[in-house]
Amino acid sequence: MSQQSFDYATEAFEFIGRLDGLPSAETVIEEMARSFTLFGFENFIITGLPSPQERFDQVVLLKKWPKAWFEIYSKQDYVRVDPVIRLCRNTVQPFEWSEAPFDRETEPRAAEVMDRATDFRMKDGFCLPIHGINGYEACLSMSGVDLDLSSRTKPALHLMAMYAFERARQLLNPLPYRGAELLTPRERETLMWAAAGKSAADTGEILGITERTVTAHIVSSCQKLGAANKTQAVARAMQYKLIRI
Amino acid sequence: MTCVHVITHANRHFYEESLEQFHRLRHQIFVEERGWSGLRQPDGLEVDAYDNQHAVYLLAIDAGRLVGGQRLYPTLLPHMISEVFPHLAQLGVPQAADILEWTRYFVVKERRTGRTDCRLLAAMQEFCLGEGITEVTAVVEMWWLPRWQQAGFKVRPLGLPQLIEGQPCIAAAVEISQASLEHVRKLAGLRGASLIRNGLSSRIHQVPHVAA
Repeated sequence: MSQQSFDYATEAFEFIGRLDGLPSAETVIEEMARSFTLFGFENFIITGLPSPQERFDQVVLLKKWPKAWFEIYSKQDYVRVDPVIRLCRNTVQPFEWSEAPFDRETEPRAAEVMDRATDFRMKDGFCLPIHGINGYEACLSMSGVDLDLSSRTKPALHLMAMYAFERARQLLNPLPYRGAELLTPRERETLMWAAAGKSAADTGEILGITERTVTAHIVSSCQKLGAANKTQAVARAMQYKLIRI
Repeated sequence: MTCVHVITHANRHFYEESLEQFHRLRHQIFVEERGWSGLRQPDGLEVDAYDNQHAVYLLAIDAGRLVGGQRLYPTLLPHMISEVFPHLAQLGVPQAADILEWTRYFVVKERRTGRTDCRLLAAMQEFCLGEGITEVTAVVEMWWLPRWQQAGFKVRPLGLPQLIEGQPCIAAAVEISQASLEHVRKLAGLRGASLIRNGLSSRIHQVPHVAA
């Protein structure tokens, strides 16, 4: 083993060791930025893969992305056509962006997202798909212009990415079940009134339904959100931008 | 209903049929499905050097049909990481009386939706807790790592991933803890103890005290 690949290994193990003590998503971002820079990566994102009903910004866990690119990517809904995201859903193996297939002729939007990314120094990338035990699908995708991406660095990056994802997941606690199980309009409404400080009785009066029905909507929201009580359900619904106040 | 049975040298006579299914499924899954062609056997039964009197099997059986399995083996004896994959453990091969090696884990294809996995993972933790085991070591395909972590397991890498039969694999140590057991049980809605110990005392004590 060469001296250099030994250093990658050391960096990877030390990075993993440091993650445990990090208290917040912000500190995980700083730590990832510091370590991934050593391999030439400038940008990265950890995100769930959205169901058809979900918006991209609802499923992102953490990111170091140019602000303007995030806005364009969200506004254009590129997540639906991004070949990197598509390959993520269909493989468990890490891959380079250049390995994510698309047809420039028949898929102009796929070509557009890859081309426009290069305007933001996201020329090449490396993507690690995550397929969780409950069907939770996510990925860590990182990119830059001058990457040190070889058969010697990839194993270290692969391992670092898996642990970075896990730390982000622990800290941000994404919803395990999503998609079809998002909140109904009535559930959102009752949570919004709860967030505004109304009791179940008040909410019932406002909406013209019984207090019992209000409570039933809240209980069902708690189940869907994996929340222990109404307060946590409101907090999680806001965290995932399912309600706004 | 699926139950996980503890099978050792002492009670294997109750389970000859399940063990034959186990070796046959191992061949189907590891050789034919995953392509570990080095394990191929003409009789379609995958049996290796560690299927001996020291091995403990935890088999998930539903109405007489095997739906998943796993094997535990003492690390004080020569075992797969020490003999076959020492290059995967750049940080050293853990060997102790309270560390077992965890191998040949699988779930049959039609049960790979999560719950059978959780049941087997919970069974592994529950068995090890009862035996005073503190850690298990394993070689695993990298895509399994987040699944273990999401099941609540604390996983320590023993080295960097390397390609085995074209798949990135890693040697890792998994902590045995009540917290991990409770986490994985909760995830699958499993209540309480679930291990069946036909003809076994509550603790096996078969871990050898000297390195062989």
